[in-house]
Amino acid sequence: MIYKTNEYLGYPDRISVPAGETVKFQLSSRRDAVKVEVLRLRCGDVDVNGPGFKYDLMDSAIDGVHACLDQEIRPGSCAVIEHGGTLVPSGNGWSFGCYIYPTHIADNGRGIMSNWCETTGQGYALELDSEGRPVLRLGSTCLTLDVKVRERVWSFISATLDLAKKTARLSLIVPADGTRPAAAHAKSFALPDVLPLDSGLDFLIAAHHLDPANRYTAHFDGKIEAPRIVSSSLEAEALRVLDCQPRTGAAAPGLVAFWDFGDGITTLDIKDLSANCLHGRLHQLPRRGVTGFFWSGAVHDFRLAPREYAAIHFHSDDIYDCQWQTTFTLDVPADWRTGVYALRLTPAGDEPEPDCESYVTFFVTPGKQTKRADLVVVLSVATYLAYANSALRLYQVHFETLMEHVLWLPLDDVYMQEHPQIGQSTYDSHVDGSGRAYSSWLRPVLSMRPRGYWFNMINDTHILDWLEEKGIAYDVITDVELDREGARALRPYRAMMTPTHAEYYSFNMMNGIMDYQNGGGRHISMGGNAFYWRCGFHPAAPAALEVRRGMAGTRTWESEPGEVHLAGTGEPGALWRHSGFAPQKLVGTGFSAMINDTCTYYVRTPDSEDPRAAFIFEGTGRHERFGDFGFRYGGAVGSEIDRLDYDLGTPRHALLIATSEGLGAGALPTPEEFRTMVDGLDGTQNALVRADMVFFETGNGGAVFASGSITFGMSLGHNNYDNNISTITLNVVKRFLDPEPFVLPALT
Amino acid sequence: MDHTSDPNALRYVIDPQRLDLVEEFRKSPLGVHSAELRKMLAKMRWGKAQGRLVLIVLEAGKAWRLSRIPERRGDPMPFVDDRIFTSLSEAEWHVFKIRWQAMTGQTLPPEYQGDL
Repeated sequence: MIYKTNEYLGYPDRISVPAGETVKFQLSSRRDAVKVEVLRLRCGDVDVNGPGFKYDLMDSAIDGVHACLDQEIRPGSCAVIEHGGTLVPSGNGWSFGCYIYPTHIADNGRGIMSNWCETTGQGYALELDSEGRPVLRLGSTCLTLDVKVRERVWSFISATLDLAKKTARLSLIVPADGTRPAAAHAKSFALPDVLPLDSGLDFLIAAHHLDPANRYTAHFDGKIEAPRIVSSSLEAEALRVLDCQPRTGAAAPGLVAFWDFGDGITTLDIKDLSANCLHGRLHQLPRRGVTGFFWSGAVHDFRLAPREYAAIHFHSDDIYDCQWQTTFTLDVPADWRTGVYALRLTPAGDEPEPDCESYVTFFVTPGKQTKRADLVVVLSVATYLAYANSALRLYQVHFETLMEHVLWLPLDDVYMQEHPQIGQSTYDSHVDGSGRAYSSWLRPVLSMRPRGYWFNMINDTHILDWLEEKGIAYDVITDVELDREGARALRPYRAMMTPTHAEYYSFNMMNGIMDYQNGGGRHISMGGNAFYWRCGFHPAAPAALEVRRGMAGTRTWESEPGEVHLAGTGEPGALWRHSGFAPQKLVGTGFSAMINDTCTYYVRTPDSEDPRAAFIFEGTGRHERFGDFGFRYGGAVGSEIDRLDYDLGTPRHALLIATSEGLGAGALPTPEEFRTMVDGLDGTQNALVRADMVFFETGNGGAVFASGSITFGMSLGHNNYDNNISTITLNVVKRFLDPEPFVLPALT
Repeated sequence: MDHTSDPNALRYVIDPQRLDLVEEFRKSPLGVHSAELRKMLAKMRWGKAQGRLVLIVLEAGKAWRLSRIPERRGDPMPFVDDRIFTSLSEAEWHVFKIRWQAMTGQTLPPEYQGDL
């Protein structure tokens, strides 16, 4: 059956909700009604060849039919300034301009500084036309400078009005750079007698108004720096070099507004340095912490030189919050088990439509009354967000070569191509080619749903399915709680488990787990490519994950020079390895390689005979192949794999208890693993291209087990859950839940 | 632009005389291939996404139809033809033939024009 999975779309206001609290759902559909059910997922994988789609249907107050609105997604970032009429040109002179660095000149006109409204035709604006020519809009009058700005070149664009003389002058200055000399272009125009310059609307930077209902359009792609407005007729060069920083108590004659984007980089506020205090607010999360016109290259951290980072990179396809109306609110009963939950959305009519089924996923975490289990599974929401609506299969140059087959696109991918406003993942690029630094849950996430693409969340439910099958009591929390609460989120638990792909980790998450491990907690790391990217939730936009790609690592885009630090927190956002905290230091293993071809298995090592590790292999043979099987990938060693490395921080007393065997030419090391490109790097030749299974004890009776492979969890269910991967995992879980302290070996 | 996001980075030129590689691919479209065939396939599979032939999954593991990535994001993604593939090997072979024709400008001999 071909399922229609996008007839209904939606998102929760909070991604995880403690039992006993409320969560709001925002839904949209062209259909005016929707039937709602709530499922608690055991296995969210609808593939019949695996464990199968397993869930409990919950009774809830929202069950039944609800009215549904067709709600619009309007991407595109800009700055919005309420001005009460102060920014309407008046008097004999009105000069305004800014530095621009366009990154995508195409399609339609692009607003730069504007209160102009497309529907009413009122207001004024400085813009670029579809060819990149500067345009001055004055009501219905459109004045154009016949010279084109170039993509990825800084220039200063400005206009001066003299309403008494009824003249205007439009200018473009391209400062010298490298071997290119400076250039200046200008043109004067006569103005009509009457100009409707007051649209009555907010002033916008990087867009103009679509209509008076605060809908914006003509979003600019590129950087803007230092927009300024002066109530006098200034030559363009004088406006460009204006001393915009008023000294305390010193007069700044005629300065109406000057927005210093270097002030408040970690916020969504923009600050006006003029005496008018025309501060503003950013819309749809454009990127800050980007290099500006004055970047010298002397520093790479905006915190050290904010004046060199006084630009904002706006995108016409930025999306943080769809801002849909709430369709209904769910009061999660206090007695609901923690876990992965999903709304099942189906048509409300009398005619059955079994092929029409959508989902909205959310997570229920322990409430105030919830009796805690001894084991907690920490689901990887940061990773789900990093990959949310990944369109790599649609737009990456090398992706078919990577996959080594004609690409198969699920219908969700077709939907994303046809509806790009839904926003893509942090692996994708904006229309201007710059990498997407943000992903949020305040929009429909197609890849985090049953019937969606299985990578990450769906794969993780295989582990939950196995826990249910083995009758192991567990709670579910997410790494969002770990980010917000740190180690406190783990304290109620004797053991924690991280699932198949805990790739994206924030400072609080890493430190929280390390504190927990050293305090006697036990950590079962079930996946691979874990604890890899240093990322952060944006403090001012807490539903958004921010990622900067640094200058190394397995990545589909690279940060621009000087733009590695996270705008939200200021931290260097690259690999944890490059912050001196390689994953090996946390769990003993860290990213080694991607497997593009055949998945394989583990064999035991001499270390595995150490009595300290004896409990792990009880019930299995010394020379078995571990995980020479598995659903979907075919082996427990696959997709992305991690290895031990003492130099990178694996504790010296860690035991390498098993390692992979039989990797092929499609096992290729991650770029930070080699310094020179030579023959001998792939899995057939290179001993460092491997998955390692590692065990070690930590202080105060704690311990860590790491599987070192993403596909480990998809082997658990093989042969009706009776297999050697299942056996050793059960051995680890049981021992890790046993209160008997682990004993650190004598350390030499 | 880096080595893997430059659509023109691959230097290999497909030799239309190499029907032996066509034969090798036809025998095992999803199989492990010789080094020379791997180079040819990499050339066929590399390149800008826009215009790329792709399979739309109608039913996971069961049915696919051919489509193309449109030039612009937001444009509709229609099917290329009416054919529904129930075998990935057959679909691979079909796409291979289209690309061979497009990239060499030459028609394959009649014995290679049919299905597997």
